[in-house]
Amino acid sequence: MPDMDQKRRNSVGPVLRAGEVADAVVEAIQEDNPDKDFVIENRIAYVRVETEGECFIRQETLSEMLGRPITMPEVEINLTSFAGRIETTDTYMRFYLEKEL
Amino acid sequence: MPLLERSDWYDIARDTNWTPDFVPREELFPSELSDPYDIPQAEWETFDEPYKVSYREYVKVQREKDSSAYSVKAALSRSKFHDGLDEGWASVLKLHYGAVALTEYQASQFQARMVRFGPSPSMRNMATYGMLDELRHAQLQLYFPHELLPRDRHYDWAHEAAHTNNWAILGGRHAMDDVMMCRDAITGAIMVSFAFETGLTNLQMVGLSTDATNMGDFTFANMITSIQSDEARHAQLGSPAIEIMIKNGRKAEAQQAVDVAFWRMWRLFAITVGIPMDYYIPLEQRHLSFKEFMHEWIIRQYDRQVRELGLETPWYWDLLKDDIENHHHCQQGGIWSWRPTVWWNPPGAVGPREREWLEEKYPGWNDSFGTYWDVITDNLLNDREEKTHPECIPIICNMCQIPISNRPGKLWKARVYQHEHEGRRYNFCTEPCRWIFTTDPERYKKHESIVDRMYSGEINPPTLDNVLTYMGIGVVSEGGHDGHDYRWIDGFRAQAAE
Repeated sequence: MPDMDQKRRNSVGPVLRAGEVADAVVEAIQEDNPDKDFVIENRIAYVRVETEGECFIRQETLSEMLGRPITMPEVEINLTSFAGRIETTDTYMRFYLEKEL
Repeated sequence: MPLLERSDWYDIARDTNWTPDFVPREELFPSELSDPYDIPQAEWETFDEPYKVSYREYVKVQREKDSSAYSVKAALSRSKFHDGLDEGWASVLKLHYGAVALTEYQASQFQARMVRFGPSPSMRNMATYGMLDELRHAQLQLYFPHELLPRDRHYDWAHEAAHTNNWAILGGRHAMDDVMMCRDAITGAIMVSFAFETGLTNLQMVGLSTDATNMGDFTFANMITSIQSDEARHAQLGSPAIEIMIKNGRKAEAQQAVDVAFWRMWRLFAITVGIPMDYYIPLEQRHLSFKEFMHEWIIRQYDRQVRELGLETPWYWDLLKDDIENHHHCQQGGIWSWRPTVWWNPPGAVGPREREWLEEKYPGWNDSFGTYWDVITDNLLNDREEKTHPECIPIICNMCQIPISNRPGKLWKARVYQHEHEGRRYNFCTEPCRWIFTTDPERYKKHESIVDRMYSGEINPPTLDNVLTYMGIGVVSEGGHDGHDYRWIDGFRAQAAE
């Protein structure tokens, strides 16, 4: 555990309730952040999605993956937690850190 | 009619503020309820919460959250889930509801303090949603156990626990009164929104949902993760408060608020989450150990957030890592031994297979905590059940109100941390609990632990029956017994037969 704590010290990203929105976020986030490697942890009731430093969830891509329109505030219904800071706008959600450790 | 994007109007709608004419600002926002740190108003006006929501969006989203939580419950209440339910899981529910449900009303009152006394308009706006969130949480967690009442009177503690002087409730009340009820809006935002809601609530409301799903309790899993989605939003009130404090030369005060509140919550959450995860949930349904969840959510995610905001890792972090290996194991032993004093039926749940799992997750468990259970197991195998009930009274920590205990066995580490103040001797479980007292003795000095009350005349005469009645046992419901009627020793019987 200490190794993982150290290795993933700059990880950011959403933690979602398992379900269709979580599945769509996992697909959309990889599409929208093509230069990033993601760690997807399935904890049965929730899914932790993490990458280094910064990532975005975009409304357009998420709606496409979900197969129906979804607004960014509606993501909150399934966003139980997140790692890092958050920025919320009408068209995207951004998870990021300002300091690199 | 085309609508403006939210970002085009959000700031102006949120920042409703004015300069008071009829009363001085200090009367409108007294420092002891608002900001005791003398930070200029202009600085508070820079407060910009990162997680934004409009009232219209809030109502729509909350309606959907509630309709999902209540419809899952309605659908599954027709299932036979609670018939023949493992008493270990039932005890997780009883403990959770008793400890959490009415605490949500306190949380709502705290948010209301930020709504009224927050020095920044954006803080007052966001806290309005937080206040409504916490009402929703209280109502969910009162309504859901209510349908279980006809099955088991223990579920009545969801509503009653906070109105009793049960020893476990004294611990919760002492901590919540300290961080939620008796703080100004700014210190509270740091202590509750940041130190509490971005950290340990994740263990209770998200970590536990994994085990709930494994148990097939989708109603509970869905409810708690729905609750935490509110927390994830309104917890964001804490970070701008911390950043403005640091920018205005108040880093030490912000750091102390984080360090005090986190430790206070840790001592409680290890009991309400740690014991369920590592003992009450049947072995087959456990996903990760409490320690593994603590590393995921706290040692990695929460500590990182602390440092991101410009604070330091709390000074006691090594002690925390040590306490993760000890505290809840000690309290499992204590609560089980004192099972008639609680409102759930704690299973001992340390049969041969469970001990193997504990040894794997917590190397050295058998040589330390195991030695305690060896004696209990031996007594049960030899029909000496009466000897599994303790004869003496524990020493209680004058901060967390939890029995003072530590690792037994060869590495015996149990000791009491004492402190004298104005002629009274106080006992503490750990260095951080003692340190918290010294940061503000005036705040804490008059409180009496449950054991202090036996000697001070508050419980008079302090007979066993009187003490139990004082704690609500036999009043709200009967106390607890071993949740599995000692079936967990069957594995040892089988081993002995071989």
